[in-house]
Amino acid sequence: MNWREIGILYRHELRSALRERTIVVNGILIPIFLYPVMLWGMFTAVTFVQGLNEGFTSRVVVEGQLPALNTELRDSLATLPDLRIEDDVAEPRAAIAEGRLDAIVTFSPAQGDVGVLPGNFRVDIAYDGSETRSVNARDRVESAVDRWRSGWLEEMGDDLGLDVEDRAVFALTSENVSTARDVSEQVLGYMLSVFLIIMVAVGCFIPAVDTTAGERERSTWETLMTVGADRGSIVVAKYLYVATLGIVAGALNVIALMVSIGAVLEPLLGESGASLEVALSPMAALVMVGAASLLALTFAAAMMVFASFARSFKDGQAMVSPVMWLIFLPILLGGEGSDVNLSVNTAVVPLLNVSMMIRDAIRGVFVWEGIAITLGVSIVLVTVLLLLARRILSFEEFLTGSFDGSFWRFAKDRLLTRG
Amino acid sequence: MTTQLHTPAVRVRDLRKTFYEEERGEIAAVDGISFDAVPGEVFGLLGANGAGKTTTLRMLSTVLRPTGGSASVMGHDVVDEGGKVRQNLGFYSASTALYPRLTARETLEFFARINGYPEDRVQARVDQLVDRFGIREYEHGRVEKLSSGMKQKVSIARTIAHDPPVLIFDEPTVGLDVMNAIEMVRVIDDLKADGKAVLYSSHIMSEVEKLCDRIGILHRGRLLALGTLDELRKKTGEHYLEEIFVKFVTEVSGSDAVVPGAFGQIDRPGS
Amino acid sequence: MIGTLLRNELRMLLRDTRTILIAVVAPLVILPAYILLMGVVDEREAERIESATYDWTIVGAEAEWGEATVREALSLAADSAPASFELTTLEGDAERREALADSLLRAGDLQVVVLARPSVPEDSLDADTPLLSLRYRSDSDLSRAARDRLSEQLRELRERTRDARFREAGLPVDRDEVAVVTAANVATAEDEGGRLLARVLLPFVVLLMLGGGSIIAADTISGEKERGTLETLLTSAAGRRDIVRAKLLAIIVVGLAVVLVNVLNLALYLTIGILDLPEGLALALDPAQLALLVLLLVPMAGLVAAALLLVSGVSKSYREYQLYSPVLFIAFLLPTLAAVLPGIELNSAVVAVPIAGLSVATSAVLSGDWQPLWGLAAFGSTGLTALFLLRRVEVVLSNERLISNAGWDEADFRGGAAQFPRHVLTWFLGFWVLFFLVSLWFGQTLGVRGQIVVNLVGVFLGGSAWLIHRYRLDPVPVLSLRTPGWTSWPAVLIGAPSFLVLGMGIAQLVNTYLFPIPQSVLESFARGLTLDLGVLQLVFFLAVLPGILEEIAFRGVLLHGLRRRLASPWAAAVACGVIFGLFHVSLFRIVPTGLLGIALAVVVIRTGSIYPAMLWHFLNNALALVPTEMGWIDPEVAVPGWGFALAAGGVVISYLLLRPGSDPSGAAKRPDRSDPAAGRA
Repeated sequence: MNWREIGILYRHELRSALRERTIVVNGILIPIFLYPVMLWGMFTAVTFVQGLNEGFTSRVVVEGQLPALNTELRDSLATLPDLRIEDDVAEPRAAIAEGRLDAIVTFSPAQGDVGVLPGNFRVDIAYDGSETRSVNARDRVESAVDRWRSGWLEEMGDDLGLDVEDRAVFALTSENVSTARDVSEQVLGYMLSVFLIIMVAVGCFIPAVDTTAGERERSTWETLMTVGADRGSIVVAKYLYVATLGIVAGALNVIALMVSIGAVLEPLLGESGASLEVALSPMAALVMVGAASLLALTFAAAMMVFASFARSFKDGQAMVSPVMWLIFLPILLGGEGSDVNLSVNTAVVPLLNVSMMIRDAIRGVFVWEGIAITLGVSIVLVTVLLLLARRILSFEEFLTGSFDGSFWRFAKDRLLTRG
Repeated sequence: MTTQLHTPAVRVRDLRKTFYEEERGEIAAVDGISFDAVPGEVFGLLGANGAGKTTTLRMLSTVLRPTGGSASVMGHDVVDEGGKVRQNLGFYSASTALYPRLTARETLEFFARINGYPEDRVQARVDQLVDRFGIREYEHGRVEKLSSGMKQKVSIARTIAHDPPVLIFDEPTVGLDVMNAIEMVRVIDDLKADGKAVLYSSHIMSEVEKLCDRIGILHRGRLLALGTLDELRKKTGEHYLEEIFVKFVTEVSGSDAVVPGAFGQIDRPGS
Repeated sequence: MIGTLLRNELRMLLRDTRTILIAVVAPLVILPAYILLMGVVDEREAERIESATYDWTIVGAEAEWGEATVREALSLAADSAPASFELTTLEGDAERREALADSLLRAGDLQVVVLARPSVPEDSLDADTPLLSLRYRSDSDLSRAARDRLSEQLRELRERTRDARFREAGLPVDRDEVAVVTAANVATAEDEGGRLLARVLLPFVVLLMLGGGSIIAADTISGEKERGTLETLLTSAAGRRDIVRAKLLAIIVVGLAVVLVNVLNLALYLTIGILDLPEGLALALDPAQLALLVLLLVPMAGLVAAALLLVSGVSKSYREYQLYSPVLFIAFLLPTLAAVLPGIELNSAVVAVPIAGLSVATSAVLSGDWQPLWGLAAFGSTGLTALFLLRRVEVVLSNERLISNAGWDEADFRGGAAQFPRHVLTWFLGFWVLFFLVSLWFGQTLGVRGQIVVNLVGVFLGGSAWLIHRYRLDPVPVLSLRTPGWTSWPAVLIGAPSFLVLGMGIAQLVNTYLFPIPQSVLESFARGLTLDLGVLQLVFFLAVLPGILEEIAFRGVLLHGLRRRLASPWAAAVACGVIFGLFHVSLFRIVPTGLLGIALAVVVIRTGSIYPAMLWHFLNNALALVPTEMGWIDPEVAVPGWGFALAAGGVVISYLLLRPGSDPSGAAKRPDRSDPAAGRA
């Protein structure tokens, strides 16, 4: 391997990729534009839905009679701002099914044992569980009755001679000691680790296919194979080029997302009192860059192995898709608990370890032996894949791009018999 | 058929095509050319690369729209009756590729049908073509797996699949080996014998000399000369086509170095 | 003809076994596998939390009482809850223990810290009782689970204690037997299943159609371009329209086939029980519903296919196509979610929105609220959009750039001026994003004034100047720098206030019936607009500057471009208005600002001059802001009905009075579209 050659070839690959204006421009602009626009759309939709929900008055029919003692419950229902008691609805049950009515509230005197309490009654609510509006109506009625019941119990407690302390027993509260920053870090840690993996993979995808299968299609592959450079250098240069684009894509997308997410989520979170605080430490940023590089190097190698089989761009895309599926697998597995950090055990699993490493870094946790193992595992994986890619390209059919069999036949006939 | 011998199959009058390029401004790729081609003749367009041969032929095949002038194929105008024109036309060029995933036979069937060949005679026609071009042994092989010579045969066969009265061959021998190029010339001779009007463009003098009944010399979008080989010889006093060509071209370049309009930048104030 | 082409397309696709295998067959196996795997992972995670031992400790002045209470609470459910709590005893004095407990909680060694203390007045409790406070970390699953469990147990203990005390005091029933509430769900499992299906059906179908259609769409124009077979096809007798239709049909066939295969696959997995429907759900469709759904699918399939084909046609290569497809996916999937939003009914303006209308219509079919006329409207809006896109594909296919390597076609170059109408929308999209990003990223640092200056001067004025320079446009016709007829001035004086009132009325109607906006948002927006500026500054920044600079950009450059693109001046005015509305970012301001934009465009078109529009815009903004801002008018006051009538009259009179000037350079005459010199110096 000759590093000068690799340098020349690498620059050549990058230059021709950068010359393609549409792709470069769109590749950069789409993420920058897409996230704010998407987030804006989400924000608008959420405001819109809020408006709709606020605007809905629950339409209920009240049936039956409350014991005389409790008619004020009925009155308090009538004064609720978001609840309207409908007076003349013919066939209320049918009306619920048709969506004209949200709930039927039936009061009846309590029967049996519970009837011992003077004035006790029961409330039956009929609602349509398939309609959000109707479910809201049920909740509104339920909470009104609950409030009323507490008041009544307090009154009865007074009458029975129980003092306030006896009735309260003890107070119970919760106190969240996590800061807004802890929460932001947790959310971002999960989101960004997944996002970075996807984006680096997507960023590697097209260049990996293009630089192998695409070149064959354009018949520049043979031109390249006949130049005086070592084939190993060609493979390495192409590989580095793919990895570079993957890292760039990952970084661009993460930056674009980070820049926009805070500004857009702020008003959304504003109402719930939480806020999004992001402050990556330099060490975390460093680990993330390192992680992105590891990801890119791994994906680039894996994709190039598969893309070597393809003869056209389209073919290449089909061949590389399985790699994408494999990439998503650790993401699914990585959804594990928020308090599991990278450990010696998890660090052995490729990709999962990198994703956990990113998550930890964002949360300010650095498990150095885990990171070291992750590094080691990734390097071994990349080396194996690269050796495989070289091995594949050492066969003439792949070199000239005339191989037209399947992957399986190749694996059976070549790799296994010779090895 | 007999009446057509008297009316030209292809009629081109003052045909123009202007392109625009960012660096160079307006370029008259074809700058007012006129010619006819009659059934049973091979009309050759001779010119260097970029002379406007391909543009002219693409306008005849309705792929490009003329900027000015008119052209018709079998009496159908290329602008108004595109479909009719294409039905009467077979177009062959290096850039008209074949579908890689179809077999040779399917390719021929497809192009016969799509060009409006009567459905009940498609199979017979395809059989005839398969025999004529010797495709029989690989008629069920996919095009992507054929050698370039085989592909060329299929490509010619698909050009004439619907038996059109007019055929256009745009630089057909580019990239062919000697045997295949000779085969191509033979096919064109056959087509001429069948009474087809053939338009043939090339920058290879010997082919044009051998094949064409009449020759038009195209240079920078203009038709410098038009006539049979003998007429051209008489005009210039040279014998070999190569020398005739050079003479015409230097005559233009010498006295009138810039062909009007060819580099006119009508649209650049200040340049 | 179309049949031959279609058969050819499909045959070629089926030959491509690798693609079919990976794009169609593999997901059928992989998707359920992923779902299963995710289920397993979730279960494991739940089990981990379930079976974990939660470490807790007690601190505070009432620690002893607290410990006893917590132990009692935990013992209540010792048999039912497998989770175990383990008390960590800390050493040292009270203060030290509390500090230690907190640091252990942060480090994750403790999951919950219970603070027991007597209540203080700041707690504002009704009763003077001791208080238990559970300290936890919301960013840790274990800590959250520990808090939830402990809290639940403590509540239970409290309820039981209360019950016992009430019983002792003589209450004849348990406390929870007082005023019992039962809720009966009248919806059947089929109803709920139908509702769920209504929400997921269209997104699911559209996603599959996009994915399935992409298999062939990418190949069908951009792929053919790359392989060079497109020229072969275009020189055959098949017309471009036939080619487009055949390709469209091919995409539809493939897309529907993929949908069908996936639905069958899903049904299969449901039957063998690899996947389960959520509990309490059932699916039942009667034939009429099914037929309607299939019918509604037709324009949807057409639109998806046409959009895919268009993207394929626009892309120069397979690679470029790939770049655009995510955008396409998002653009299609978002509107399909319309049915998920609560309260959007079929009989509303939503039917006019392609895809979103169909989403609501399919949902209506499934929930039994189907209304034929409105459904038809939804069908129509999507169908028409599909036809429009199809026309575009035909235009794209006749574009010579596809084949000629000279790169540019005629209108493309002509000094740039002829190219301008084509590019103007793209440029304005860029401006929009820039405008949006400025407020998003630098909104706080710049302040309102800074934002106005950056957007108006930087984006609008700078952008307009750049476009005029870039395309070498003549500022006079582009910006309509001409004298209007003198009657236009009184027209503006009457029109601006009248239109302001009328626009407010229309916007109110729309807000009430079509796009309800939450009161809280309106209020917070109003707060945002309240500036601490003097009236002079207010007028300058919010009326004078927009009046001049927004007009230059929108009614100048944009309208000029739109009029050269669109045949009807009214269409240009409406398009100009909508774009102007979109530049006000917030969705609920689109209606009023859009209407204003249309009115201003009409003013420019009628008078041939931009000056009346500038005055109108200035008056509009000034009248909308100054009186309320200065407290002359109470913004809550409603305009009476006759006020709107008067305003409508004013607008009509104003329209009639708007006149072009007598300038012979032809302000009223529309510049000839085919004349390339029209836009040039």
